[in-house]
Amino acid sequence: MNLRKLCLLMFVTMLVLLPILSTASGAGKKANTNSTARERNVLYLFNWNNYIAPETVKRFEQSCNCELSQDYYSDNEEMLAKLAAGATGYDLIVPTGNAMDSLIRQGALKPLDKSLLSNLKNINPAYLNTAFDPENKYSVPYAYTLTLLGFNRKKMQDLGLPTNTWAIIFEPRYLEKIKGRITVLDSQRELMAAALKYLGYSVNDTDEEHWNQAKKMIIRAKPYWAAFSNTSYIRELAVGNLWVAHGYSNDMFQAALDAKRTGRNFTIDYSTPKEGGVLALDSMVLHQSGVRTDLAYQFINFMLDGKNSAELTNLIGSGNPNMDAMKAIQPDIARNKAIFPDKKLLTRLEMLQDFDRNRRRLLSRLWTEIKLR
Amino acid sequence: MTKEKTKGGRITKWLVSGPPLLFLLVFFVAPSLIMIVTSFRYPGEFGGLAPLVAPAGEVGGEYGLTLEAYQFFLSSSLYAEIFLKSFGVAAATTLICLIMAYPLALLIARSKKRFRNLMVLLVVLPLASNFLIRIYAWMIILGPESGLSHFINTILGVFSIAPLTLLFSPFAVLVGMVYVHLPFMVLPLYINLEKHDLALLDAAQDLGASSWKRFWRVTWPLSLPGVFAGSALVFIPVLGMFAVPEILGGTGDILIGNLIKDQFLGTRDWPFGSTLSIMLTLAVLSIAGLATWLARQSGGMKYAE
Repeated sequence: MNLRKLCLLMFVTMLVLLPILSTASGAGKKANTNSTARERNVLYLFNWNNYIAPETVKRFEQSCNCELSQDYYSDNEEMLAKLAAGATGYDLIVPTGNAMDSLIRQGALKPLDKSLLSNLKNINPAYLNTAFDPENKYSVPYAYTLTLLGFNRKKMQDLGLPTNTWAIIFEPRYLEKIKGRITVLDSQRELMAAALKYLGYSVNDTDEEHWNQAKKMIIRAKPYWAAFSNTSYIRELAVGNLWVAHGYSNDMFQAALDAKRTGRNFTIDYSTPKEGGVLALDSMVLHQSGVRTDLAYQFINFMLDGKNSAELTNLIGSGNPNMDAMKAIQPDIARNKAIFPDKKLLTRLEMLQDFDRNRRRLLSRLWTEIKLR
Repeated sequence: MTKEKTKGGRITKWLVSGPPLLFLLVFFVAPSLIMIVTSFRYPGEFGGLAPLVAPAGEVGGEYGLTLEAYQFFLSSSLYAEIFLKSFGVAAATTLICLIMAYPLALLIARSKKRFRNLMVLLVVLPLASNFLIRIYAWMIILGPESGLSHFINTILGVFSIAPLTLLFSPFAVLVGMVYVHLPFMVLPLYINLEKHDLALLDAAQDLGASSWKRFWRVTWPLSLPGVFAGSALVFIPVLGMFAVPEILGGTGDILIGNLIKDQFLGTRDWPFGSTLSIMLTLAVLSIAGLATWLARQSGGMKYAE
């Protein structure tokens, strides 16, 4: 009897532990072991979720006669944290400027041999030589996204709400009409950036007084928000559960497309608030732990080709730094200011810069307070 | 457990207790030690940890050991509040699980022998599918456009009560927590209840006890060890859970598990994450100690053996 009890208890304990272990193990994940990458023709790409169309992947795999294996992240911090926890084996990563800066200073990236990148000339010079990598020693621009507002156009018209200002997610007078139908990004930096911009400060402001103003405003608006969401807002917008979401331009493009495809009686639209916001230029970089540098160069050249690069815009709605791609981009997308901001708007967009460890800790406490209150 | 003083008995004893001891050593003591050391170090500039010794040529800077993370923990009452809140959620989940699981376990234990295994299997069956998928399923069930939401809000509408949002709320978190952990309450209870000698109940009836009295004076005290085992199996995992509040919770549903996860995946602050984990481990250990003590005090053990 006792033995049986013991066995059952052990079984139960295992059942408790298994899901916990399996969810926790993601952090220290290894993309591959070196030997398998050499044997098989596999390029390991650590990419944003929903940042390359399956069609593009398929054509690349045909052209290189290899396999493209992707792992995904939904926040730069998440990617950096996984690398810091020892994730290895990625040939290519697609970080945003500030995260790339951090990777460069850590010495985690391989310098590029530009003689192998014949298509580099296609990139618009405006997107080269950024502050994060002044001579593009390590990085080649891939695509960019804007952090903006996506919304259910029909609902917003019915309710008579503005759609071109951050006020819609921060001001109670607007929020009370859309209570519980709005999400904001679950990202300390992105949400603070939106709040700081709305208050008229820079997204990289570190003045504690300004942070406190932003915090107060966020806590005041929070009861009206349904949740903090980094990815699920795409689906929730498209099925009509959400009316407004703070998110990335290519995710909004996806939501709009999904709503259209499933024949909803509303359309999803998106626009950059007039106060400005965050522009995230993502670049392809070679990670030190990568094995198949040859395939990585093939991939970079493939993506620099105008026709392939255009798919990043036509199929997933990313902003495109590739001049050669512009002629292959659908005209209605090329005209969309939420994807290709005009000169005037461009001056109000900023790229995020990395904070030092003490700032990160302070911001984290502020974030905890925001979440708890 | 055993009073044999023979050599053979002692070897058997070690053979039996060896593997669990080793398991504890490798999966509990060693990680805890690593965590303790980590909590006294400085965070690295890019994540990870700052080196213990300053690199050659650099004077000053933040290297070596520090109490900084603990000072930061005490710098604000926020962290104590999150602990209290998490304990509240864990306690509520445990209580609800107990109330839901007890009748079920009793039903299984009192049903015909050939059905029992099938019923236990049915209790365990949901665990066969992935945990995250089951939680996402609740997102659909509780969503504002779901049948359940419409049904509830139509009824509320009749009494002109403002519509409820089920998803992204403390309620949804509690539903998810209870749903995930219910089997871990049912099984220990079932194991206990199944062993009860039914003759005791007959005796109580012969002595004139009502059915309620028979339960309260005989079955319940006898089942206390099962109640404590089940409670520990529910309470402790709930304390560390971060996925359920993240997926089903609203803007205010942050628990200690989310906070710890954020330190590693959001802020790249390992020392502070370790400090929080140590505090949680200490809290859990003291609760486990308390539960053991309570179980011993209750005297339920005496009858159950």
